[in-house]
Amino acid sequence: MVALEILIYGAVLSGIYALLAVGFALIFGVARVINLTHGAFYMLGAYTTYALSVLLNVPLILSILGGMAFVFILALCLDRFIIERIRTTMINVLITTLALSLFADQVILQIFGPDNRNIPAVISDRVTLLGVDIAGQRLLSLIISVAVIATLWLIITRTRMGNALLATAQDPEAAQLMGINTGRMFMITMGIAAMMAALAGGIVGSFLTVAPEMGMLPIIKAFSIVILGGLGSLGGSIIAALLIGYLETSVAYLISFNATELVPLVIIFVTLTFRPAGIFGKRRGF
Amino acid sequence: MKLVTHTWRTLISRPPFYVMAIFFLFMLLVPVMTNDLYLIGVLVLANVYAIFASSWDILSGYSGKENFGHTLFIGAGAYGAAYLNLYLGVPPMLNLVLCGLIGAVFGILIGIPCLPLVGPYLALATMAAASIAERLTMIFSKYTGGEEGLYGLEPITAGPVGDYYLSLILVIITTVILMAIGYSKQGLILRSIKEDETASEAAGINTTRYKLVAFAISAFFAGMGGAFYAHYQMYTGPSSLSIIMAITIIIICMIGGMGTIVGPVLAAYMLTVSNEFLRSIGDFRLLVYTGLLVVIVLFLPRGVFTVILERLPRFGQNREASKP
Amino acid sequence: MTKDGLEIRAVTKTFEGLTALSDVSFSLEDGKIMGIIGPNGAGKTTLFNVISGFLRADQGQMVYHGKDISSLKPHQVVDLGMARTFQIVRPFKSMTVFENTIVAALSPRSRRSRPKGVKSDETAMNVLERVALDHKKDESVASLPMGDLRRLEIARALATYPQFILLDEPFSGLSLKEMDALAGLIRNLLDEKCTILIIEHKLKILMSLAPRILVLDYGKVLADGTPAEIADNESVIRAYLGRRGHAGVDTTN
Repeated sequence: MVALEILIYGAVLSGIYALLAVGFALIFGVARVINLTHGAFYMLGAYTTYALSVLLNVPLILSILGGMAFVFILALCLDRFIIERIRTTMINVLITTLALSLFADQVILQIFGPDNRNIPAVISDRVTLLGVDIAGQRLLSLIISVAVIATLWLIITRTRMGNALLATAQDPEAAQLMGINTGRMFMITMGIAAMMAALAGGIVGSFLTVAPEMGMLPIIKAFSIVILGGLGSLGGSIIAALLIGYLETSVAYLISFNATELVPLVIIFVTLTFRPAGIFGKRRGF
Repeated sequence: MKLVTHTWRTLISRPPFYVMAIFFLFMLLVPVMTNDLYLIGVLVLANVYAIFASSWDILSGYSGKENFGHTLFIGAGAYGAAYLNLYLGVPPMLNLVLCGLIGAVFGILIGIPCLPLVGPYLALATMAAASIAERLTMIFSKYTGGEEGLYGLEPITAGPVGDYYLSLILVIITTVILMAIGYSKQGLILRSIKEDETASEAAGINTTRYKLVAFAISAFFAGMGGAFYAHYQMYTGPSSLSIIMAITIIIICMIGGMGTIVGPVLAAYMLTVSNEFLRSIGDFRLLVYTGLLVVIVLFLPRGVFTVILERLPRFGQNREASKP
Repeated sequence: MTKDGLEIRAVTKTFEGLTALSDVSFSLEDGKIMGIIGPNGAGKTTLFNVISGFLRADQGQMVYHGKDISSLKPHQVVDLGMARTFQIVRPFKSMTVFENTIVAALSPRSRRSRPKGVKSDETAMNVLERVALDHKKDESVASLPMGDLRRLEIARALATYPQFILLDEPFSGLSLKEMDALAGLIRNLLDEKCTILIIEHKLKILMSLAPRILVLDYGKVLADGTPAEIADNESVIRAYLGRRGHAGVDTTN
């Protein structure tokens, strides 16, 4: 049944986008930074996983964790050495992160070449869910997406660090006065978000293309989700992720595959020009 | 007439002007000094980037509306030239003007919805707009030649030296006009919009109109540059709409110094020429540019040439002493 | 329904549940001066923002010289002859004093209103002379003390040849000498039939300039009358005493 197929396959993609979007929104919400290297985190996570598992024969799950660790460190360095200094000028942040993202693409291109790669799946069997035949890995990625986001939600709302993050997001100056080390909060945020992106990259590697430019499209989608949902509203991001994931899958089935790439871009442009705060966004942020 | 002589006298007294005059004089003599067609080809490319960069600067550097979709205007000019020339037989020289106008129209079309946007929102929206255009050329590849682009445009001059002089003349015209605007009272108003748009409005300035005009002017020269580039290569393709092109232009302007016109122009030459010398190592343009960008952004955010130009002596009148 | 002057009718403005202005009404004839006082957060600057076009009122109407200005943009309001200054000064930091003023002198309003043959440069210089900043015309704004910055704000407003000026706490941060000079300037403007609306915390000097005061609190008009009437008004006294004594009201000047 086509509708159910769209439902389930769409959910898989939505889950991935949600992982990316939530991380991106987190960085924006807490650190007030529009981090255009987020796509690179995703891509580097995939490539590190690939390098570890395929080239070095490290067990798959360890490879994925390795990818996450590597990207985590990169993100911390990025924040500490570059973003920390230019945080106050948004355009510098934008252009620098964008340039670094393309830089990463180029470096990977030089090292691995332009061919697509594949990462083996953690679960290689196919599974039948509600009558729909789906690759086990896809289902796994959906489960992991939900689990990670749920865990993040718990961390933010239940732990002390989570509270500190929320406080920093609401009012960094007040947070600082309360004794919260906002600089460290910014770094942690970047690290967590980067890890989520790297995890996503490691998992999808078996059913989505692993190529140097693989980060471009997802980051555009992450944008569109965050912007549609409202910068600063995590709940809004999740809903928007679902909306856009389904919109795209529908367009792919019903119109043409090429046209799907337009969906997030058009949503970004229209949302920004008509309702920059997004559906649920309250804070303009700038 | 008095206005012209007054503007002229003010322009000449300032370091950027005589620096550019000396520079262009030197550039005019290059083909006389060398026969190296490769070098001349590189300089043509530098000229083109100088036009792209300076046209970006008059909008984004002066009024502070950072446009991440400048390639949309360039592409409009390039593809426009292709269609006008291939299907309507419009001569290349006429195309330069017509595509400038096409660019200006796109400038206004994009400017209008983006008017109320500030900072990052504007950057993202313009980036989205340019990406949409890029995607559309791929989707409608039947009409646009897709990845491959469109071939067979007429050459614009008889040969490489002709191309060089024409592009140089275009740069000179662009630079003079944009500098005149930039250092004029209208430029002052643009700068006031960048500093504090609210205060500018409170001073009675119709900031919307100024921003739209800035968009149109910026897009005009970008379109003209795009048209020249297309005819020069006798080809146009999606690379003129790419994000890499957009970033390259912005990086050039930031390294040169935003809001000066001169900075971006000189940086265009500096970077394009040095990039060619690095070509022997491989196509590392993006790597080098990114590295330079990070250095500039961290240590010299006002740009290389802004600082240098401010230290030069000035002659004659000393009014409006704040900007060089 | 007077054809001249400013009429504010039942203006209301809310922000996300917070009522900044509630049913504010008053009128001010041409050539007169009125002061606006009230505790911090009373809505005074919001009122200025709404009048000058920076904010749109949710309800109510504003009419100036018979024209409805409720939905005009800021530059259009200036075009009608109404200029304003800001409570926290907003100079163009990368420019000189002269350049700051020239921007205003380049507005369409200024171009139309200045005498034939006078150029924008002259307008700027004239205005700078009026506020005694002409000797600093080429100085960068970044190095100016607060008193000069306030005068620069006023110079910028004057460069648009206004018939109506909204002054938002112009005496704040000024020395005694500077306050005298500013008061003199205000009186000159009144002599030239300029209408003035002035928000100020320094009651003494305000009441020496303005024979009529409007008191705002929590967005509502508490009282509208002469200084003597205001001082006697019970709700006004309560509003001020209810807030830690004289918070927000400076009676020493």
